[in-house]
Formats: sequence, C-alpha cells, structure tokens
Amino acid sequence: MVGHAVSRTARLYAIGEVARRTGLSHDTLRYYERIGLLPRVGRDPGGRRVYDERDLSDLRFIRRAQAMGFTLEEIGMLLQMRADPRRARDEVRRLTAAKLAEIEQRLEEIRTLRDELRLLLNLCRGAQDGCPIIESLAEHNGDSA
Amino acid sequence: MPIEVEVFTSPGCGKCGRAKEVLRDVARELGEDRVHWREVNVLEELDHAVALGVLAAPAIAIDGKLVFTTLPSARKLRATLLSRLGVVSP
Repeated sequence: MVGHAVSRTARLYAIGEVARRTGLSHDTLRYYERIGLLPRVGRDPGGRRVYDERDLSDLRFIRRAQAMGFTLEEIGMLLQMRADPRRARDEVRRLTAAKLAEIEQRLEEIRTLRDELRLLLNLCRGAQDGCPIIESLAEHNGDSA
Repeated sequence: MPIEVEVFTSPGCGKCGRAKEVLRDVARELGEDRVHWREVNVLEELDHAVALGVLAAPAIAIDGKLVFTTLPSARKLRATLLSRLGVVSP
C-alpha cells in the first residue's frame, strides 16, 4: 500500500504519541504497518515514523473493529472501503454490508441489556427499604452467594 | 374483545399496591368481562418488561403497549380504558 500525501501544515505524531492516543503498543503499530493493514506511514529525516491524522483515524477504526470481534483480514477490507467507497470491490461491499448487519444486531442486544440494567436500578431506587431487588434476583437465579 | 391490562410491580415497590388497587377498582367498575388485568412481577418476567419498555414500577401496559410509566390517577386510568373500549369518557 502507498502512504498518503501529508500536507506540510498537517500535524504529525511520533509513534509514542500515537501509542498513547490509541492505546496500541509500539510493536502493534509497527506490525500493522508491516502486514499492510496501515498504509506505510511517513518518516522524518531521521527515519523515525511520523503519523498523520488519517493514520490516527485508521488506527481508531481498527481498534473499534477489533472490539467488535472483526478479524484483521476483515478490517483490512473495511479499510479499503474506508479509503475509497466508490471503488470498493463487490467482495468488500458485501463484507461491509454484512458487518453493518452484525453491528445493528449487536446494538439491539446492547440496548436491551442497557434497558434491563436501567430498569433494575430504577426498581432499586423506588424500593421502600434498601434494595430487595438484588436479593430477589439472587433467589430467582438460585444464587447462594 | 376485552382489553388486556398488565400492571408491572416489583418487590418493595412503594406505589405498586396502590396501582393494583386503582386498576382493580376501575376494572370492576367497567366490567371484568371487558377489562382483563393481571399483575406482572417485573423480576419474574424481566424479558417481557424490558421488551415493553418498562423502566420503573409501577407501570401499566394496555394490549401489549406501555401506556403509563408511573402510577396514574383513577380518573386518568378510567378515561384511558373507556377510550380503548370505544366509550367517550363523561
């Protein structure tokens, strides 16, 4: 992959700063570049890596996609879509649609879980004495703890 | 067709007893053949409560839709049920 053009006024970040901002280790950042997941990043006159905003954006995307359980191979394809949606291959478009559907379903599950936890907390707050909800739940679940 | 009313309650809930009383009285007044009601212990039917959007107790659902998210007055509950039965509230 080819690195993106960097404007002279764009802010650049050393690898340590990128590691701090993304939570990724130096080794991981170098690895992503080596396997082509991240386009080759720029270098300063001393040969040290310098990352631009676009690199940071891609790295944040990678982190989010990994948190969703996507594989690096899948993430690589999604990054192609991200770089140029209009020219994405059919396979990449299909994967993007499939991943979107997966996320929608996950969101629904997360919403349900959020609503349930919110309900439980509200029941606690509305209880006359303490929080009998927790005790009742433990009984329902056969939890002896 | 009778309307189906569910009153969501939970253990230790301060106003749930009152919600049941209000519903019982109004259902009796309007006719128990026209208004079927049941108490739902939120903890025993958590999935059902969450699916309907119940966020606190008491709450009242009519025909599978959450209508009251807090304890309604007898007057308001009566008016709502009458409206569902197709009767104009006096």
